[in-house]
Formats: sequence, C-alpha cells, structure tokens
Amino acid sequence: MKNPYYPIDTILEDVISETPTIKTFCLKPAKPIKFKAGQFMQLTVPGVGEAPFTPSSDPNIEEKMEISILKTGKVTDALHELKPGAVVGLRGPFGKGYPLEKLAGKDVLVVGGGVGLAPMRSLLYALFNDPSKYKKIEIKFGAREPAELSFRRQYKEWEGLASNISLKTTIDVAHPDWDGHVGLVTTLLDDLDVSVPESYALSCGPEIMLKFVTLKLLEVGFTPPQIYLSMNRKMSCGMGKCGRCNVGHYYLCVDGPDMCYDKIKDVPNVFG
Amino acid sequence: MRFIDSTDFEKLLKKLSAEGELFVPVKEEDTGKLHMRRVESFPLPDGTVFDGFRAVETLKGFAQHLRFEVAQYPSEEKDELKPEDSFPGYVIVGAKGCDLKAMELVDSVQAEGDYIDPFYKIRRDRMLVIASDCSECSESCFCNLTGSNPWPEKGYDLAIAKVASGFLVEEGSERGAGIIEENGGLFSEVREGLEKTRDENRKKVLSQLKANNKSYPESAEVTEPLRKMLNDEIWTEEASRCVECGACTNICPTCYCFLLFDQKDGEQYKRIMSWDSCQVSGYSRMAGMGTPRPRLSDRVKHRFYHKYDYLPLSHNAVFCTGCGRCIDACSASIDMREVFSKVVTKATR
Ligand SMILES: Cc1cc2nc3c(=O)[nH]c(=O)nc-3n(C[C@H](O)[C@H](O)[C@H](O)COP(=O)(O)OP(=O)(O)OC[C@H]3O[C@@H](n4cnc5c(N)ncnc54)[C@H](O)[C@@H]3O)c2cc1C
Ligand code: SF4
Ligand code: FES
Repeated sequence: MKNPYYPIDTILEDVISETPTIKTFCLKPAKPIKFKAGQFMQLTVPGVGEAPFTPSSDPNIEEKMEISILKTGKVTDALHELKPGAVVGLRGPFGKGYPLEKLAGKDVLVVGGGVGLAPMRSLLYALFNDPSKYKKIEIKFGAREPAELSFRRQYKEWEGLASNISLKTTIDVAHPDWDGHVGLVTTLLDDLDVSVPESYALSCGPEIMLKFVTLKLLEVGFTPPQIYLSMNRKMSCGMGKCGRCNVGHYYLCVDGPDMCYDKIKDVPNVFG
Repeated sequence: MRFIDSTDFEKLLKKLSAEGELFVPVKEEDTGKLHMRRVESFPLPDGTVFDGFRAVETLKGFAQHLRFEVAQYPSEEKDELKPEDSFPGYVIVGAKGCDLKAMELVDSVQAEGDYIDPFYKIRRDRMLVIASDCSECSESCFCNLTGSNPWPEKGYDLAIAKVASGFLVEEGSERGAGIIEENGGLFSEVREGLEKTRDENRKKVLSQLKANNKSYPESAEVTEPLRKMLNDEIWTEEASRCVECGACTNICPTCYCFLLFDQKDGEQYKRIMSWDSCQVSGYSRMAGMGTPRPRLSDRVKHRFYHKYDYLPLSHNAVFCTGCGRCIDACSASIDMREVFSKVVTKATR
C-alpha cells in the first residue's frame, strides 16, 4: 500500500535569492512529480518538519520543480540555511489547482502581493503555455518595496510573449529606487482594461490583501463567482484527514487552496 | 441467528485470540466504569462484562493510535508500506451501537476518498468486531437522539445479546459467518422465547434513553438553528467554563484530527502522527499571522459546528453518535445536549 506520509527524496540543486526574505529553491525529486498550477506540495526539511508551498515553476516540467519561499519560522528558516546538494523531501501534489478550464476565452486578471507572487508564477507559466486561449491576461503585482518584488528579471520577457499580456507593478510607499506606480496593489485595480462581465480574477497574497482586493473587485463590478482567492491555513496532512485547514465546511487542502469567493463569502471572519 | 452458552463463548474467544490481540470490556471496581483490557491468558479477567453500556475507550483508538510512526526517511522501502508484517490484528469484543456508528463515520474520512490512510485502513481491515447489546445506558448516553439505537445495527462481524445463560449471536459479515460455520459445535438453535427476551431488553433500554433525554432536541433538528447562532453570546458563556484541556475531543469516538511532526533518530528521521485537539490554541496557528480561531469561544464553538454543521455538508452526516463520553469527561460539566437545547430555544425564539 502507498504511504502518503512518506516524503520523496529530493535534491536541492540550486538556490536563487529573489528578495531579502524570499528564495527560490530548485528541486529535483527522485521521481517526476506531475502537478497542476495552484496545487501545493508538502516540503520536508529532514528532522525539522514539513510545510505547505505552492510550486512557482512551470507545471509542464515534471522532472524538476521550483518553490519560492518566504523565511518566516521553523521550517522556512531551516530551508533558507540549506545549500545546493542538500536532501529534502516532497509529498504531493495536493489540492485542486486553478480552474484553468473556466478561464479559456475570458479576460484573466492576476493579482499578487508579496510572497503571493510565487504561486502566481506557476499560474502564469500555465497561461503563457498558450496565451491565445485567453482574451487578455492582465497582471497586477505589488510589494512593500522594490527589492521585494519577486521575479523582476522576468517581467519584460513575460510582457513580450504576446500582445494580450500586460503587467503592472506597484510598491506600497515611495522609494528612491522606484519611478513606477506607488500605492497598495488595490490601486492598480482602479483602471482595469478588462471587460468585467467576461473576466475572472485570481489573487494570492496576505489575507489582509485578499480582503481588500476582494472588496475592490466587488466594487468595480466583479461578482463572487468570478473571484478566486488562494487561501492560507495551517496544514499538516494535505489530504483532508488531519482536520485543521478548514474554512467553513471546506478543507483547503482538498477543496482549495484556491477557493471561489462565492463558496466562502458567508464564512465568518473568512479573512482572519 | 444462533445461541451460544457463556462457557462456549469464552472457548470461542480463546480460539479467536489466535487471530489478533483480544480486548474485552472489564468493570473497574471502584468507579464501576468499563475499560477495554487486553486478554493474554484465560480464563477471562474478573469483571469482564459483555452487556452494560460502552467502555471508556473508543473503537477509534484501535484504528488510529494516539501516537505512532508513519514514516522513516530516507529509506530503501521508499513509499511502499508493509505494516501488515508486524501487525497481528485485533479482536474487539463488546463494542456498542454508538461506537460502531462512530467507526463508520471515521472510516469515511480516513479510509475513503482519493487518499487513504494506510495505517488506519490496515488496522481496520484486521479488526474483528464482536458487538453487543446495551443492557443499560448511562446518564450521559443519548444515542436515541442521533438516530441510532442501543444495539448493534451494522458495522460488526458478530453481534451478541445476553439472554438466559448465554448470548444470541448474529453474523454481520462474511468473516463473522465463517466463524459461526467453523465453530458450529459451540452454537445451538435459538430456544423459543429468547429472541423475545432480547427484544424486550432492547425496548427497556430504549425507553430509558427516551426518558433521560426527553427534554433535549434530536440531532437532526440542531443543524439549522445552529447556523443562526454563529455570533451568539452562548459560545462565550460556554467558553467561560471550558478549561481547554481537550478531553472532549480526545475521548470522542468520531474526532479524528491529528498532527504530523518529525524527529531525528540516529542517521534517520522519523515522522510521527499524534492525535490533536481543535480546542487547544496552537492547533491552527499559522506562520506570521496568528490563528483563525484566536478566542477560546471560537474553538469551543468549532467543536459543535464541525460535528453538526460542517461534516453534514462535507460528509453527509452529523459526526456525533450520542455516546456521551464528552459529557462524562468534561471537568466544566459542559453537556452537549444542554448546549443544543439552548441553541434551539434561542434560535427559534
Ligand atoms: C497551500 C499553501 C501554499 C503556500 N505556498 C507558499 C509559498 O509558495 N511560498 C511561501 O513562502 N509560503 C507559502 N505558504 C505559507 C507557508 O506554508 C508558511 O509560511 C509555512 O508553513 C511557515 O512554516 P514555518 O515552520 O517556517 O513557520 P512556523 O514556525 O510554523 O511559524 C512561523 C510564525 O508563525 C508564528 N507561530 C507559529 N507557531 C507559533 C506558536 N506555537 N506560538 C506563537 N507563534 C507561533 C510565529 O509568528 C512564527 O514566526 C503556503 C501556505 C499554504 C497553506
Ligand atoms: S450511547 Fe446508546 S449505544 Fe452507546 S453505550 Fe449508551 S445506550 Fe449504549
Ligand atoms: S491539511 Fe489536513 S485536513 Fe487539510
């Protein structure tokens, strides 16, 4: 019988610094792992424990996987100490992943903030696989300061991929190294170039950001079924068995982590 | 249906003890409570009781151990698992109606769906369950309110009911039928009148349950009112008494939550699974941003909502079978039935 608690041996091949607190870990698992954009993995640091992360790499690549991780506690601190060659473990993928089939033929609005850009990158890779399938791909990224915008080296390339792709960035407060837009990521939603009734919005970031992004989207005319949010809860098993990741009657690890806002809008304190 | 004499039943258990670790309910002298005890030699321990009401220990504890190792890594075995090599199986006698139903509910979480917990599944598959009728109920029993009865209805291999000098025996699975067939000599025809005696016992216990619980709402009538009470002060009131010990969830036959954590063990690492309780504050604490249930009242509330609101939506069933263990275990005397009475009264006012 398969043991779903066993972490597959995985070699850490490379570590890329994205921001002062986020690193991308390039991993090679002992056997290929097939995942859909938005599904997540449980990543083990031997002896320390495991934590859930959504890959930031192209879902079409199975032999290798990249995960971009914010240093914030026990497991992530230990991860940030690791050097190439180290052995870690992977379980998964878990969860449903983004509803790509629904996005075909629509305007797709991607809103990411802080470490939330990481999961969004795998979604972007999936969309970029065939940009012509979507009417528009409009990307809005925000961070506290310029150094905290992950993947900046790739923005130009992404925008150049197809004429229906646009990418706008913002930082929270003015900074000497920045001549772009200043303000919270929600301010980028004031002048949208999408046709709202024909759009889906997908967002990932801190819950406080998700809350204000949702309010803004509703204000500009999105309806709850058009909004998908990557929710965050403590997780352990990843398979709907340990009980801890519930949002109302949903288990995020099984029914999410990307949840249609329509399903969770009535859950009290849904944004914590 | 067959009859088996008490001494022959003990012979049968002796024989079945070769099929796995045998556990029977034994009455503790000072408290009068039944505890599941391992039988390693015969005769059966003094105080072995096959009727009465449920033991303190749940069936769940046999399928999902309190704390155990689920993985060693890195390992040559990789992710293939063969725990059946080391696990002999269980023979559990005296499980009651409420526990059988609870096991069925936990099965729907741990042993069904896209992922199956192999440890749970293997222990369940190798668990021979000989269930029995309740001959009495405790003050805290309320199975009748949860749509079940104080006798085995399904989820057993054999079911026994104490009558005259022995037991009426019914088969509930192929394995159970096989046992009766292989040990035919120990069983006899059911004498006239015995089935009637059993049915009268059942009626007696059921009417006692109904009398004890007549002022409380049925489980099926709780969910709707509960949904209207999310922001009611009732939860702060209940929480003001709760001491956050987690006894209610640990003793519950349907609570299945656990935590995984890792340990170093020489050159290897171990992954341990341990029961966990949604009542304690660290349960869902998250990186950097606290927990979705910061107040004790949120957590007290969560236990009721998970069982009576969320699981009916996700798993089509109220996850409470009325065994009453949480009522007995609570040092603050929080009684689920009282809470639901208040909920229903307040919500319909
Ligand atoms: C589906 C999903 C996908 C995710 N994807 C990503 C991703 O792509 N990238 C990413 O960086 N993150 C991601 N996360 C978040 C990530 O899982 C967490 O950051 C990670 O679990 C933190 O683990 P840790 O052991 O480092 O932190 P922990 O040590 O568990 O906790 C970190 C912080 O939490 C608080 N805390 C925890 N326990 C306690 C306690 N007992 N008492 C007091 N305070 C406490 C403290 O503030 C502590 O600093 C994702 C989460 C989910 C659910
Ligand atoms: S709750 Fe019902 S089935 Fe369970 S021990 Fe009490 S009377 Fe028996
Ligand atoms: S992480 Fe265990 S139930 Fe979701």
